Amino acid sequence: MPYTFNTDEEQSEMLGAIGAASLDDLFACIPPSLRLDRPLELPVALSEIELAQHMSRLAGINVPAGERSCFLGGGSYDHFVPAVVDAIAGRGEFFTSYTPYQPEVSQGNLQATFEYQTLICQLTGMDVSNASLYDGGSAAVEAVLLCMSVTKRPRKVVTAASVHPEYRKIIETYFSQLDAELVTVGAADGTVSLEALAAAVDDETACVLLQHPNFFGSLEDVEAIAKIAHDRGALLAMSVDPISLGLLKRPGELGADVVVAEGQALGTPMQYGGPYLGIMACREKFVRRLPGRIAGQTVDRRDRRCWVLTLQTREQHIRRDKSTSNICTNQGLFALRAAIYLAALGPQGLRETADLCLQKSHYAIDQITAAERFELAFAAPTFKEFVIRDRSGQVDDVLSTALDAGILAGVPLGRWYPELADCLLIAVTEKRTRREIDALADCFTRATSAASVARMSG
Amino acid sequence: MRNTLATKLLFELSQPGRRGARLPVCDVPVRPVDALLPAAAVADEPPPLPELAEPDVVRHFSNLSTLNMSVDTHFYPLGSCTMKYNPKRNERMASLPGMVALHPYQPEETLQGMLQLLYELQQMLGEISGLPGVSLQPAAGAHGELTALMVAAAHFKELGEIRTKVLTPDSAHGTNPASASMAGFQTVTVKSTSAGLVDMADLRAKLDDDVAVFMITNPNTLGIFDDQVAEIADLVHKQGGLIYLDGANMNAIMGITRPGDFGADMMHFNPHKTFSGPHGGGGPGAGPICVSAKLEPYLPTPVVGMCEDRYTLEWDRPKSIGRVRSFFGNVGVLVRAYCYILTHGPDGLRRVSENAVLNANYLLSRVKHILPVPQGERCMHEFVASASRLKKEKSVTAMHLAKRLLDYGYHAPTVYFPLTVPEAMMIEPTETESKETLDAFAETLFRITDEPAELLHDAPHSTTISRPDEVRAARNPVLKWTSA
Repeated sequence: MPYTFNTDEEQSEMLGAIGAASLDDLFACIPPSLRLDRPLELPVALSEIELAQHMSRLAGINVPAGERSCFLGGGSYDHFVPAVVDAIAGRGEFFTSYTPYQPEVSQGNLQATFEYQTLICQLTGMDVSNASLYDGGSAAVEAVLLCMSVTKRPRKVVTAASVHPEYRKIIETYFSQLDAELVTVGAADGTVSLEALAAAVDDETACVLLQHPNFFGSLEDVEAIAKIAHDRGALLAMSVDPISLGLLKRPGELGADVVVAEGQALGTPMQYGGPYLGIMACREKFVRRLPGRIAGQTVDRRDRRCWVLTLQTREQHIRRDKSTSNICTNQGLFALRAAIYLAALGPQGLRETADLCLQKSHYAIDQITAAERFELAFAAPTFKEFVIRDRSGQVDDVLSTALDAGILAGVPLGRWYPELADCLLIAVTEKRTRREIDALADCFTRATSAASVARMSG
Repeated sequence: MRNTLATKLLFELSQPGRRGARLPVCDVPVRPVDALLPAAAVADEPPPLPELAEPDVVRHFSNLSTLNMSVDTHFYPLGSCTMKYNPKRNERMASLPGMVALHPYQPEETLQGMLQLLYELQQMLGEISGLPGVSLQPAAGAHGELTALMVAAAHFKELGEIRTKVLTPDSAHGTNPASASMAGFQTVTVKSTSAGLVDMADLRAKLDDDVAVFMITNPNTLGIFDDQVAEIADLVHKQGGLIYLDGANMNAIMGITRPGDFGADMMHFNPHKTFSGPHGGGGPGAGPICVSAKLEPYLPTPVVGMCEDRYTLEWDRPKSIGRVRSFFGNVGVLVRAYCYILTHGPDGLRRVSENAVLNANYLLSRVKHILPVPQGERCMHEFVASASRLKKEKSVTAMHLAKRLLDYGYHAPTVYFPLTVPEAMMIEPTETESKETLDAFAETLFRITDEPAELLHDAPHSTTISRPDEVRAARNPVLKWTSA
């Protein structure tokens, strides 16, 4: 019992003050028939030393991608996290505080949240940002729900096969309860088919949900897609890679009405998928439909500038079943990490990071496709991620060859796209060195020669 | 002592040309950007972020941090939030490279340690709840509620039953009706009795074949264990409905009673409360759900399974509702919960609950003469006192007391919730506070109630700001910094 204080003597004293005969007496309100009449079947308690040994053993069984050469992507990336992020976010005053319900003793969190919202607006070119949501996927579903609400078109949303398949799955899951339809248009060439999109969007469509760069790493023709949506009175909801915005035009300039993003790339470790950071920003006119917490600036009774949680009449603790969302928490700690990350990188740092991703990923494409067995699956321009097709229809042998060499070479796409079962999604971040990329390409070459040897001997 | 220069906004500290992080020189052949990307897609300038040196950033945020109260620095009896000590050892364990540097799409054979941990955590939560089907996917308590309601909807769909309503007591957390609404249900509120329990007559009147789920928090938001819960579950089950248990208050009953044993079919845990995950200034949380065996097939995909000593992600679940977030879940929070449970073991978890309830009852016994508890003199892990009498006698409200407590170095309790108690002050001391702290807090409350009312009306006096104008913030929203 490492974290409680009460000694036996204190317990007796406290029970006396309460007027209770025993600890058990305090639970008299629970009918005996409902009590557990045995100890919980759990492992016996571990001391800190034993816990550390146990956890080191479990950790040792894993192969931590971030400690190897990680070319895995698909929404979670091995980007660099500056030491300042860990040092500051690890301060107990941030780490062990909670939602700023008492603004007088929460100005640190509130100001940091206000700064985060400003940074997200600067990054995306949007008017307003909330204080964050759970992750990129749940942010995507909140974005389409917002669009359905403000357009008063509650029945239909159009998206594309080039949007993260898990994000689409989440929306389908939410929609199954709501009598709404998610129409997915194809992306056979790796980007949204504009003809199919134009045919799918109609006067009932609340929005088009687009990802840019998309799940395959390719750039979409955002302005054309925005026009298709807006011509039919639909909105454009856009999921972006925040790192790409060091180089690419901001969604606000491209016609987006709502922007969401997986913010993990901004200073959060991969930690097997979460907790991450759901970024959500929109145009000013939608602010009262925006879900989640929002910090706002005001003054105190002595006219001093300060920050509070605001527009709370949108939220569940006030509006209950009429709220804009059921969300209660935000990802405060990861919004803070993103704010520290963006402040530490600044505009030049972000641009250089994006440029390194671009250059290194294109170098990787050249090196990998030097082997005849492998080709780029799609012709569209890519930012930091790309799809490689194995002309011999395998991919497993490349992955295992690479893993043996300490390289996590890519994510096989067959799980989500049966027609791309011969394809790998490969991400190259600013952390990857030329040596690592060459070693990756070497795995592809070696797989090629092994395959040809197998063919000859077969 | 305060450094007000460093706590100017980041944007006001910015100087053109200043910079923090430096990136490596590109070690591959560099090509012009316009040779790789279409010109129309590329921005002329990088985004207009602030320009700061690394020491600026550190000093800025370090100074900001000192403007917060936190569990590490202050007693934080914020009812319903279980602000218990966040063990440092859990931070170290969750930060092991073998835990934190894992990519969500790594092959399973490279994740066996992580999958073992998650599998064991599923088993542990199933045992603590008495509900064997576990999904670790939901990202927060409210997300768990929504997920479970979708599970219920899928269950009824398969039975061919159309049920449109979810019942919630009037003392429920706001997330309950909000989650019901997002899951496509209509919410019907059930009244509470003056003793704070579910009004059985009202429940009977509202319970019919349209009711899919009754969502109950037990112990409830008043800190009372509703001893009618088995009867409630019987009634709802007889009508073919399901019971959802909002697990926000599990800190009171671990190892003492189990939701699965008192009639719940589904529940969520709040590992950031019950299992000590740090609250991070508003998140992350996690919201794993536990369900009965008959509802297990509908859980989101994937769950962790075991097959011949190998841990696997189970994807082939044809009845699954699908997915509620990307990737596996809020794993970092779950790793801390796992460490917490292992540190305590079965006896330790029971003692956590015993001491949480002891501390709450002790504090209640000390303050009840000035802050009466309308629902009685015993509680579970928290209690809801009312400042109604002080308001009538001295014009001192729950908000005044809350604000004045800040001056004395205590975080305020949750105020004005639940909505069923006038001038509510919801106090949850948790088991990780000493008797001395509880005594000092009680004595501070006594002292405050003896102070002139005017002093309280203007409180707090010692904080860097006091009584921000929230009306102005909402009427003229300023939600980001803009250059003057």
